[in-house]
Amino acid sequence: MSEIWLIIKREYWTRVRKKTFIIMSFLGPLLIVGFIGLTAFLSKEKKGGYEIIVFDEGKIFNGVLRNNEKYHLEWAPENKNYNQIQQIFKKDERLDLLLYLPANLIKTNSMTAKCLYKSIPSSPAQKHLTSIINEAIELYRVNQNNIDIETYRAIKTRVNLDIIDIENQENKNIQRKGIVGIIFAFFIYFFILMYSVQVMKGVIEEKTSRIIEIIISSVSSFKLMIAKIIGVGLVGFTQFFIWIIVISVTSILLLNNLFPDIYSSTLQSQNPITVDSSESAQIIDFLLYKIHWPSMFIFFGVYFIGGYLLYAGMMAAIGAAVDEETDTQQFLIPLTIPMIFALSMISSVIDAPSSSLSFWLSEIPFTSPVIMLVRIAMGIGPSSVEAWEIMLSVGLLFSTFILTTWLSSKIYANGILSFGKKATYKELFKWLKS
Amino acid sequence: MPRSNIIQIEDIHKSYGNYKALENINIKVKKGSIFGLLGPNGAGKTTLIRIINQIILPDKGIVKIHGQALEKKHVYQIGYLPEERGLYKKMKVGEQALYLGQLKGLSKTEAKNRIKLWLEKFNIENWWNKKIEDLSKGMAQKIQFITTVLHEPELLILDEPFSGLDPANSELIKNEILELKKAKSTIILSTHNMNSVEEICDEAAIINKSKKILNGKIDVLKNEYSTNRWKVIYKGNKMSFTNAIWGGWKLENHQSLENGTNVAEIELLEQLEISDFIKGIVNHVEIQEVIKKTPSMQDVFLNVINNE
Repeated sequence: MSEIWLIIKREYWTRVRKKTFIIMSFLGPLLIVGFIGLTAFLSKEKKGGYEIIVFDEGKIFNGVLRNNEKYHLEWAPENKNYNQIQQIFKKDERLDLLLYLPANLIKTNSMTAKCLYKSIPSSPAQKHLTSIINEAIELYRVNQNNIDIETYRAIKTRVNLDIIDIENQENKNIQRKGIVGIIFAFFIYFFILMYSVQVMKGVIEEKTSRIIEIIISSVSSFKLMIAKIIGVGLVGFTQFFIWIIVISVTSILLLNNLFPDIYSSTLQSQNPITVDSSESAQIIDFLLYKIHWPSMFIFFGVYFIGGYLLYAGMMAAIGAAVDEETDTQQFLIPLTIPMIFALSMISSVIDAPSSSLSFWLSEIPFTSPVIMLVRIAMGIGPSSVEAWEIMLSVGLLFSTFILTTWLSSKIYANGILSFGKKATYKELFKWLKS
Repeated sequence: MPRSNIIQIEDIHKSYGNYKALENINIKVKKGSIFGLLGPNGAGKTTLIRIINQIILPDKGIVKIHGQALEKKHVYQIGYLPEERGLYKKMKVGEQALYLGQLKGLSKTEAKNRIKLWLEKFNIENWWNKKIEDLSKGMAQKIQFITTVLHEPELLILDEPFSGLDPANSELIKNEILELKKAKSTIILSTHNMNSVEEICDEAAIINKSKKILNGKIDVLKNEYSTNRWKVIYKGNKMSFTNAIWGGWKLENHQSLENGTNVAEIELLEQLEISDFIKGIVNHVEIQEVIKKTPSMQDVFLNVINNE
């Protein structure tokens, strides 16, 4: 037992002291948070609002188009044509956008207006413009058809459709939650692959440096393999915890600075006609309250352990079967294909989380870590994944790990003593039988 | 009282698929001796060494240490320097030796103290924090040797310990091996270097094509394989020497020195005794010295392997 502990300690410490580990632990999450933050920041509304020059070709929208300080509209001189107005827009630094409402805009129900920009307007601004144009056209037609404005307002509706599970009515819009599942699925894929490959590299290092023979004259090759897998796995866990801490701290800091109003903002739009401007607040509300984070993290941990153990044993066998890293390709490809296949199936799983495809992909151990996390993100219950399915999947994953590790250890024990050549599949099979 | 055996290898067989790596190997190694394990490449020496180290298991047969069948606990009594050796390149000298020492059952403090002593002994005290990849091959070999003997094993198995070493380091390691012998360690030395076998081994076994074909004390082996070769130093005419006796012998080499002395190397064929030969030439030349040529281990080795 003490030798196993010694080996685990060595595997762990030599890796966590490496510069690449330290850089990856902090830079990785910072990049992720930075990227999300940047996207959010770019889609955030422009401070100080927009100055918009409107070219109303049909001269029908003045007074109908809703004007406010944030999206301030001014009418283009009437004696100018479209080209001249474009020149004015270009020269006047004060102007942010040129809104071109062609004369035929009101003719049918589906026409196109144009918005010319110097720097691209934010997506809320785009939505606002679309909405006020629609509103203006509708109001114009209300007038034309002698409809009472109050009647129009009473008729005008905006419906949200919530997709609700009859058994669990709190469980709304689960497909949106799948997005969180995708992120977890990519992470688990990345972590499993990165750390199981490290096991393979560690084995190759011991084999090429020839220290392997000295080590296995002190401990059995099986113990060495298991200790190495545990040591590297602990490094993976350490990195995962650092990531969680760094991501949580930086996202809280970022949220407070970028969106100081998120905690106070109201989530429902007050007027059915106006655009809901607090979309980012809605997303944050969704992330904070609709996703069951504890189960996400717990199952990330469980499936990381299971998936990592499943792949690490096989990677150790590959490392033992080759003489240098460049020879690993032919063995690595068949091993990684199931996981890549799982990633490519995520969208089908989100579309139908309780279909039989989703069921099997989340039960088969080679794809289950990726797929099950997507289903769990969409909620545990009849509409996505039942508790028994998770238990079965975890059970299958761990029993397959025991089987593959046992088989891998046979390849490993023979491979580490075979120098100077790359093993063929035939030899691997022979070693399996030994 | 005869010394007891530390290692008894009894009827060991090992095959890889259809290939027989070892067949019916029986060897005894006396405690406190240096035992040479000889044989051409691919003869099965490394397989045998791996079996003694419990890296692989034999298909049949048993290896006993102090009369007990090998068990896990015995790895602490054995030190092993494999032919293909290496260390973790990125690890520091001290850390590495500490790790390997602890794997062989030493406590951390004990290992640390011993490493320090060894580094001092080799005048490399300041190497603790050097990385292996920064050392030359010869320097790394010294560290390798230290890690092999650190836990003061009763039995040392050294596979080609001199390969890749310059003459100075070779000498250093040879002296260390002799020191260890004095300190009552037993050493199994697998090597192609017959000079070193002759110089330091007490006994040897030759393995060829997976079988043991010879085993015994070095001087006994040499005697057994001595051929009827003699060196005759004489004064006189070469023609008189060669014509003195017709048949029954072969002149293998002849040298005439400046002072009129000749050195002839001859091999006597079966029917001729050296006394008859001397009687035959004594009237023709002036005999100064007749010496029996003993074979070197190299001769024994080649003789045995070629007759197989």
